[in-house]
Amino acid sequence: MGALAHFLEAEGIATTQISLIREHTEKIRPPRALWVPFDLGRPLGVPDDPDFQTKVLVSALELLGAQSGPVLADFLEEAPAREDDSDAAQEAWSCPISFSDPEQAETDLEKQVFALGREMTELMPWYDKRRKEQNRTAVANFKPNAAADLLSDYLLDRSPKPDDPEMTLAVAIRLAVQDLKTFYYEAASYQPGAAPPTSQEFTRWFWTQTAAGHLIRSVSEKCKTEADKSLQMTGKAFLVPMGW
Amino acid sequence: MARLENLAEPMRSHIADLPCPQFDHTPWVDVPELANQRIALISTAGLHRRGDRPFGGMDGDFRVIDGTSQAEDLVMTHISTNFDRTGFQQDWNVVFPIDRLRQLADENRIGSVANFHYSFMGAADPSKMAPSAKNLAGLLKGDNVDAALLIPV
Repeated sequence: MGALAHFLEAEGIATTQISLIREHTEKIRPPRALWVPFDLGRPLGVPDDPDFQTKVLVSALELLGAQSGPVLADFLEEAPAREDDSDAAQEAWSCPISFSDPEQAETDLEKQVFALGREMTELMPWYDKRRKEQNRTAVANFKPNAAADLLSDYLLDRSPKPDDPEMTLAVAIRLAVQDLKTFYYEAASYQPGAAPPTSQEFTRWFWTQTAAGHLIRSVSEKCKTEADKSLQMTGKAFLVPMGW
Repeated sequence: MARLENLAEPMRSHIADLPCPQFDHTPWVDVPELANQRIALISTAGLHRRGDRPFGGMDGDFRVIDGTSQAEDLVMTHISTNFDRTGFQQDWNVVFPIDRLRQLADENRIGSVANFHYSFMGAADPSKMAPSAKNLAGLLKGDNVDAALLIPV
């Protein structure tokens, strides 16, 4: 990010930026930067809080008034948290669609594929309702069932083929995994009678309690055994987050 | 929180060990008062319009985002799986604060919002972004942009 600021400013475009990792910005020394203490993935702090987002945005833009640089300022206000953000509350969040008992993880690949289909059928009404009411989905390239089909076909050696002939299998698998996770978040966030999960709640649930998380781990392991370097790299780094 | 010391391993070491490019000096462009500036957003979240090419690897190219885009139009195909996406799935402004920027223009706190905005995929090697940035600077000047707000993910 900071390098891009150097390149653009050198070409005559003034820049200001948000910094998520202060240590990086200290080394790169872009012209103007506002360090913020928020989670990676949330540079404006928190969703659905226009006032807070505006405060962050204005703080970054006001650095354009500096007379000289480089300027590295700190935004020290933490992002507003949900009222009860305790570990206990986070542990309490659940989404009652898990047929798979994590203590009895299914090992047979066909059973994993079947469990995924069953799980998605349960989630689909909430996903559909959310999409209709919010007029938006962040599912990008693969509709939920197409994502599941591609990953299942790969796992079962059924010649998976992305619709786009220019898309490699490695890219298709990565994008299908992203879209499947997005489907799960959007559906789970619309389950009746429960607040949307926090990022931490969703991550824990997805990777420890869902058939989808289990199947993606299997896809990841299979990718690692491939001769194709891009599939190997995808399996190693781009499907399952570090630490999960 | 994104304080390096608060990240769990192995993420903390991964981030801490990422190579950072070094520059001999920091360039500087003077700008008019904020209330008179035309602002563009440049994200490194791997954003693009639905239907545009997804980010497929570590290339340093960018995607053009029409300033009239709505939340439903924008998707994310960043290569990393190690940052939160649920914020973006809930509200695009937490990554791409275009509604907030439009609001500032309506209140005359900035001059105007650019017609076009842009996104890179931030995991790309910065040296691969350099030629793209040169092209991008030309596009920004063509849109009469005074300043760009760069937003990581």
